[in-house]
Amino acid sequence: LLLKESRELERNPMASKGSPLHGPRARLIEQAHRLFAETKEHVFESKASEEHAKLLRSQHELEVSTKQPIFVGSSVSDTIRTCIVMGNERAALKVKSEFKVPDKRWYWLKSYALATVGNWDALEKF
Amino acid sequence: MAQIPNLDNAPLNLAALREQSQKDLLNILRSLRGKKCVVIDPKLAGTLSLILQTSLLKEYGAELRLLTTEPLQTECPKILYLVRSQLNFMKLIANQIKSDEPKGFQREFFLYFVPRRTVACEKILEEEKVHQKLTVGEYPLYLVPLDEDVISFELDHSLQECLIEGDTSSVWHVAKAIHKLEFAFGVIPNVRAKGVASAKAAELLNSMQQEDPVNMDDMGAPEINTVILLDREVDLVTPMCSQLTYEGLLDEMLQINNGSVEVDASIMGGQQDGKVDGKKVKVPLNSSDKLYKEIRDLNFEVVVQVLRQKATSIQQDYAEVKATNTQSVSELKDFVKRLHSLPEIARHVHLAQHLQSFTGKPSFHARLDIEQTILEVQNFEICFEYIEEMIHKQEPIENVLRLIVLLSLTNAGLPKKNFDYLRREILHSYGFEHMPLLYNLEKAGLFKRQESRSNWIGITRALQLIVDVNDTAKRSIEELLKLLPGPHLDLKRGNSAINASLEVHQGLDRVGHRSLVLVVFIGGVTFAEIAALRFLSAQEGMGYDFLVATTKVVNGNTILRPIIANSKEVMI
Repeated sequence: LLLKESRELERNPMASKGSPLHGPRARLIEQAHRLFAETKEHVFESKASEEHAKLLRSQHELEVSTKQPIFVGSSVSDTIRTCIVMGNERAALKVKSEFKVPDKRWYWLKSYALATVGNWDALEKF
Repeated sequence: MAQIPNLDNAPLNLAALREQSQKDLLNILRSLRGKKCVVIDPKLAGTLSLILQTSLLKEYGAELRLLTTEPLQTECPKILYLVRSQLNFMKLIANQIKSDEPKGFQREFFLYFVPRRTVACEKILEEEKVHQKLTVGEYPLYLVPLDEDVISFELDHSLQECLIEGDTSSVWHVAKAIHKLEFAFGVIPNVRAKGVASAKAAELLNSMQQEDPVNMDDMGAPEINTVILLDREVDLVTPMCSQLTYEGLLDEMLQINNGSVEVDASIMGGQQDGKVDGKKVKVPLNSSDKLYKEIRDLNFEVVVQVLRQKATSIQQDYAEVKATNTQSVSELKDFVKRLHSLPEIARHVHLAQHLQSFTGKPSFHARLDIEQTILEVQNFEICFEYIEEMIHKQEPIENVLRLIVLLSLTNAGLPKKNFDYLRREILHSYGFEHMPLLYNLEKAGLFKRQESRSNWIGITRALQLIVDVNDTAKRSIEELLKLLPGPHLDLKRGNSAINASLEVHQGLDRVGHRSLVLVVFIGGVTFAEIAALRFLSAQEGMGYDFLVATTKVVNGNTILRPIIANSKEVMI
């Protein structure tokens, strides 16, 4: 039952997808995270929902600092890519370390992002 | 060429079945006098196109509409809804009827469920308070002949329902459909089943026979000798592999729906006026096309060669005709006859060319290599890294999942470390909203944590499943052919009631005419598997003709896509 409940919660926040208020969404997911954490079998789910909430918060911060509502709802990888495309390498690095993105993925994302914007100089250096 | 297949060569009188369905439908139409508007759900429209020409409906004074969320725009005083018994359709219908009310039309509404009414659906109509306005009926369409040797029950989500949602109504549908076949062709004496759902279907079939027995007195010997029921769950490996037969590839790349593919007109070499750009054309694919019948089950590489040969031989003939003016009339006749096959050749040359644009890519071959490596369970690291890289590149999630599922199946799950790592990478790359999807896949046993040692290697060795890659001509066919029979799954699933094994049975009935075996795949069958069965029945000394029946023709993508979509839907 507990599991069901947390799954429900996991789903619920999506109803508010696209709404500018992501505060409640992140909170709901954190609630799910706690519920998952109460059982032993759902360590993974618990971690994932914790990260999800974290992601939403940092995306929110990014949106505030860049004044562009393009982050919330995208994945970790997409967020990093968007940052690099916008030339904000520092923010990208921050996301990288925050979510412990493996180097391999990081290189793929970076070179892909730099190639899309045609920033060949940066790609050369990197 | 028509999309409705020609069934003259069918091992069973399928044409009669189709005529019956046709007649049933027309009777329903006839029962409503005057002009009427027929509203069909989109999926069913495709199915019906295999039964009758839409122009026929117009002759019966019917306007055709697809069921959508929009209110209905029509002048007709009578509305006939023809839909499958799905809950969401009931809502749509209720909304349409309600939106009609204030306009003050005097309309009669009819609702025919395909294939039968269900309590849940009627409950919704009651809740919506529209049931009194409706005259409810049933249109018992349980199966549709897809081709002369393939029957479809048209249950798209059977596998997903059984594995994830625990909804086994599709199993009942299958049993009912087979029972209906028995009414037409006699009680099938041998029933073999493999897997949970199959065993259940076999039981249901028995109880149906008890409740509503087929009267055998006025019938000759039963036309179907044996029915073999197989669960897709028993072998999920095959659909996850890329198919290499011509038909299989067409399905993988372009998706065959209701016996035809839709492609850009430009691909088919349509008029080069530039005006047809972006227009889609439907290309029918069934045995009525002699050339297609010949090449559909061959490996794609071979198909290209066959097509080339045919084209050059006609070219040579043409050159000969031109060179020697002294042709006898009969020779000319021969030549003209061969020219008649030109449009068919042209059609398949176009299709093959289009397919080659996919198969020519290095990524296609890399993928085949990886599939092979995964099947051989030799180098876990390489496979794992390949998948990891795919996720990092954010390739379409279906493609990634297909390989992951394959890897998980052949290894009886992944070690916890890798399992969690891949799941995390997926969530990071594709978004956390894929959480329920991962959960569903785990529930279905498609992608899970390793709990026991894999018996895959033992199975493959025992059955010689994997044939050398270099043997391209028949590789996929033979691979599948040996995958098909299910004895190895006995080991896995002790609960299957009756053992289905082709090989054991093979020797028994060699004498006399070939008997007919109905092979039922609950949860879907791939084109490559159908090809394998055709190949089997074409073998010399084979005492059987096969008729394939399936809930749906599937491939890895069409199995995974509804699960992906469904997992998302639940969230919204």
